[in-house]
Amino acid sequence: MKKIFALILTLAMVLSLAACGGGNSGSGSGTPSDGAGAPADGGGSSDGKTYKVAMICDSSISDGGWGMACYNAMVDAAAKYGWETEVSDSIAQSAYYESIVAFCDLGYDLIYAPGNQYTTAILQAAEEYPDIAFALLNGGADTPSQAVNGNVTSLLPDAQQVGWIAGILAGLMTETGKVAFIGGMEIDTTKGKYAGFVESAEYVGAQEGKTVEALDVVYSGDFSASDKGIEFAKAMMDQGADVFFGDASAVDSGARQAIDEFNAAAGSVKVYDIAQPGDFLGQNECIIGSQVTDNSGLVGLCMEAVENGTFGGETIFGTMQNGVLSAGKLSDLVPADVQEKYSSYIAQVMDGTFMQ
Amino acid sequence: MDSTFISNLILASVRMATPLIFLSLAELYSQRAGLVHIGLEGLAAIGSLVGFLVSLITGSPLLGVAAGAAVGILVNMIYAYATINLCAEQIVYGMAINIFAPALASFIYRVYFGAGSELVQVGLMTTLSGLLGISSDNFLVRLLLDQTPMVYLAYGLVIFTAVYFNKTKSGLNYKAVGEYPKAAATLGISVVGVKYAASVICGALAGIGGAYLTTCYSTTYTDGNVAGRGFIALAAVIFGRWSAGGVLLACLFFGFCDALQIRLQVGSYGIPYQFFQMIPYIATVVVLTVIGMKKAGPKGVGKPYLREER
Amino acid sequence: MKHKFVNILVPLISVLLAFVIGCIIMAALGANPFVALQALWTGAFGSMRNLGTTLARSTPLIFTGLCACFAYRCGVFNLGGEGQFLMGAVVCCFIATRSGLEGPAATVLCLIAGALAGGLWAAIPGVLKIYRGQNEMIISIMLNYVATLFMGVVYTNWLRDGTVPQTAPVPNATKLSRLFGLRVTTAFILALVTGLLIYYFLFYTSKGFQLRAVGLNMTAAQFNGFAVKRYILMSFIVSGAIAGLGGSADLLGTQFYLINGYASGYGFDGVAMALIGQLHPLATILVAIFFAVLRVGSTTMQATTGVPTSVSDIIQALVIVFTVAGLAMVKLPQFKAAITKLSARKEAA
Repeated sequence: MKKIFALILTLAMVLSLAACGGGNSGSGSGTPSDGAGAPADGGGSSDGKTYKVAMICDSSISDGGWGMACYNAMVDAAAKYGWETEVSDSIAQSAYYESIVAFCDLGYDLIYAPGNQYTTAILQAAEEYPDIAFALLNGGADTPSQAVNGNVTSLLPDAQQVGWIAGILAGLMTETGKVAFIGGMEIDTTKGKYAGFVESAEYVGAQEGKTVEALDVVYSGDFSASDKGIEFAKAMMDQGADVFFGDASAVDSGARQAIDEFNAAAGSVKVYDIAQPGDFLGQNECIIGSQVTDNSGLVGLCMEAVENGTFGGETIFGTMQNGVLSAGKLSDLVPADVQEKYSSYIAQVMDGTFMQ
Repeated sequence: MDSTFISNLILASVRMATPLIFLSLAELYSQRAGLVHIGLEGLAAIGSLVGFLVSLITGSPLLGVAAGAAVGILVNMIYAYATINLCAEQIVYGMAINIFAPALASFIYRVYFGAGSELVQVGLMTTLSGLLGISSDNFLVRLLLDQTPMVYLAYGLVIFTAVYFNKTKSGLNYKAVGEYPKAAATLGISVVGVKYAASVICGALAGIGGAYLTTCYSTTYTDGNVAGRGFIALAAVIFGRWSAGGVLLACLFFGFCDALQIRLQVGSYGIPYQFFQMIPYIATVVVLTVIGMKKAGPKGVGKPYLREER
Repeated sequence: MKHKFVNILVPLISVLLAFVIGCIIMAALGANPFVALQALWTGAFGSMRNLGTTLARSTPLIFTGLCACFAYRCGVFNLGGEGQFLMGAVVCCFIATRSGLEGPAATVLCLIAGALAGGLWAAIPGVLKIYRGQNEMIISIMLNYVATLFMGVVYTNWLRDGTVPQTAPVPNATKLSRLFGLRVTTAFILALVTGLLIYYFLFYTSKGFQLRAVGLNMTAAQFNGFAVKRYILMSFIVSGAIAGLGGSADLLGTQFYLINGYASGYGFDGVAMALIGQLHPLATILVAIFFAVLRVGSTTMQATTGVPTSVSDIIQALVIVFTVAGLAMVKLPQFKAAITKLSARKEAA
C-alpha cells in the first residue's frame, strides 16, 4: 500500500516538474554549480582569480521591490567586475547566520546582506571569518566599528534624501493635499524615509500654494503580505490620499494593485504611486516616478575594495551628491511644467539648498 | 465615523470574509464526516499557487480556480488515505499537510520562475458590474454587483450547504457519519465512501479558497499568502457551531475584525500597530469564551473509523 | 521486541523514501543529487563548528518537541508551543536586559521566569478547556498569533535598542556558556536533561503513570476517580513551561535578542517531532536533532548547488507524511494481528 502511495507522490512531483521544465530552460534557482565559466566573460581580476559574491535576503528576490532591486544591483555589479553570484532568498530569521556561514565555508569573497536586520548575524560571522568581506546595505553608521576584524562595511543611502526625492514629486502632484506612506517595519531608515517624505511634500506643497499633509505612517509588520498592501492602500485612499510612497517590498506591490484598481474604476489615473529603490516606471500604471538608489554602484565599490585588498571598516554613504541616489524617469502623467519644477527642486537637493 | 467610512468598512469586511467562507465550508464538510482537518492552510497554499500559475498560463482566472480545486483534491487525497484507510491521527496528518503543501508550492514557484527577479502579475477575475458594464459609486451597487463571481459562489454554497445538511436525506446520512459512524454503517450508509466524498469536497473548497487569493484578490503570489486563514477557518467552524449559517456569520465577523483593524491603524500613529493586528485573534478567543461550548460538534470528529472494530 | 523494532524501522524507511524522492527532484532540476547530499552532510557535520551549529539549532526544537510530547501523553492537544516558547523568551529578555542583574544568578532567574511565563501562557487554553469547554487547539493557535505580535510590540517599542526593531542582546555575563567554544551551549545540555526528566517522570513515577492513563482514556480515568480536570490543567502548564524554558534557554544560548521572525514555526515543528518520535521523550530528542541536521545541512546544500531550500522542506515534510502514515498502518488491526500478543502486552503494561 505504501509503495503505491509513494509512487503516486513521486509521479505527481515528477509530472509537475516535467510540466514546469519547459517554462525555464535554466532549471533550478540561482546560478547552479555548472557555472564555472558562467558570467566571467573576460572579467575577473588581474591575478586570474574569479571572485564570488553571495547575497542573503529574507524577502523574495521576485517581490517587485526591495529584494528584486537589491538582487539586480548585485548581478549588475558582478557583471561589471566579472564576479560570480549566488543568492539565498526567503530565508527565516533562524537561518540568517547559518546561510551566511554556509557561503563563508564555500569560499565566497564577499557576503552582501541588504538590510539592517542582518547586522547581528553579520557581525558574528565577520568575527569568525576574518578573511571574508561583509557588506551590509542600510547598515548602521557605527556598525563597521563594532566588527572586531574590521571586515564589515556599511552601505548607507541617505534616508532623508530618499524621502525628499519622493516627497517633492508627491507635493507637486497631490490634488487632495494628502499623501501616504506604507512601511514594512519600524526600521530607522524607513522612519527616516518617511520623515524626509513628509517634510519635503509639505514644503513643496506650501511653495506651490497648497496645503499638503501626510497621513500617519502605517506598518504592515512584514515585507511579503501583498494583501495587507491592498487593504492599507484602500483604507488610505478612503481618507483622501492620492500619492503613495512606501518601503515594504511586496506590500508595496499590493498597494499599487489597489491603486490601479481604484484608477480603473474612476476611469482615469488620479492616484499615483512613487516606487523605490529601482526604476520601476511601467511596472504598474499608477507609478509616476521612482526614487532610484544605485545599490550596484555601492556593491561595486565593495568589489573593487576586495580586489585591491583595501576592504573594510568603513561606512559608505549614498547621497545624490555622490551619485548613488537619483530621481528615476517620470511618467507622462506628470505634466511638462511639473516635470520642470521637479527637476529644479532635485537640482536644489543636489546643491544642498533644498529647504534652506 | 461618517457613512463612507462605514460603507467602505462593510465592503472590506465582505472582501476579506470571502476566502474564509470557502475555507470554513471546506472544514465544515470535513468535520461533518468526522474528519477534523487542520491542514487547510497547506491546501490553500498549493491551491493559491496552482490557481496563480494556471490563470497566468491560460489567461483565464476561472480555469485557475478550477485547477486550484483540482490540486486541492489531489493533495487532500494524501490526508484522506492516511486518515481513513490507515487511521492515522487526523491532527498530525493535517499538520503534515501544512508543512508539505506550502513547501511544494514554494518549490514549484521557484522552479517555474527560476531566480528571474521580476514581479509576475496576473489578471484578476472580472466583477459582475464589470461584465455588465455598470460603474457606480452607489454603496448598494458596489456591495451587490461589484463582486467577482466567486463571491456569489461562496454565498450560494452557504445556502446550498444549509439546505443540504438540514433538509435532504443524503445530508442527514452525511451528518450521521460524523456523529455515529457505526450506527450509520448499520443503516447501510457507506461510511468510508462519505468520508472520501467529504475529503474531495474539502480539498476542492480549500483549493478554491486558496486560488481565490491569487485570482480574485491579489495579482501576485507570495509564499505564505494564506497567512493563517486556514486556522481562522477552523475557528470559524467552531464559532459557527457546525452550521452553514453560523459559519457564514463567523467569517463575516472575522472579515469585519480584520477590516476594522486595518482602518484603525490608519490614523492612530503612536499605538504599536501589533495591538491592532491582534484584534481578530483576541476577538476569537473572547467570543468563543463568552458563548461557551454548549454544543461540542459532531461526536465522531477526530476518531478513526475501523470497520473491523466491534 | 518485534513491535519496537517495527517502530524504529518505519521512520528509517520513511527517511529513506523521502530522500529518494528528494534526490529524484534534485536530479530533475539538473543538480547532482550526490553532490547535494554530500553538501548536506558537510554542512551539518563537516567540521566541529558545523556540528556545534547543528546541535545549537536542534536545541529549541527539542524543547518544543518535548512540550508537545508531554501534552499529548496527557491527552491534550497543545498546539501553542510556539506562543509559549515566545512568551518564555520575551520574559527572559525583559529580565536579562532590564533588571540590572547579571551573571549566573540572573541566568537561573531568567530560565525560571521563562518557564513560568510559558506555563502561564499555556494555562489560558487549559483553563478555557476545563471551565468553558473550549477546543484547546483553536485557543492555543490563536494565542500563538497573539504572542508573536506581543513580541513584536516588545522589540519595536518597549525594549527596542538600535536602528532596527530588535532588542539589545542579553549581557555577556548572563549568556549560557558555550561548549568547547562552539555555537552549541549548555542550553543543549539543559534540553537533554529536561528530556531525561520527562522520561523518568512519565514512565517511572506513579504520577506519570496517572497522567498517561488520563491521556489514554479520559473517561476511564474519571471513572477510576482521577481528578481529570486537574491533570489536564497541570499537563498544559507543564508542557507550556517546557516550551517557555526552551524560549529562555535559546535566547540566553544562541539567539541573544528578540527580532522579527524569531521562532517562527518552532511550535508546529515540535508537534511533528514528538509524533515522529511516537511521543517518547528520548526519541523526540533524536528526531529533533535529525531535523536540525536537515535544516543546517540544507543551507549548505542550497549554497553549493543552487537547489532551492524548499527541496529540503519537502524532504522534511515527506519524512513526516511517510512516518505518520507508516506508524498508523502498523497499528491497524490487520497489521497488529501479526504482532498481536506483544503489542497487547505492551498496552497493558
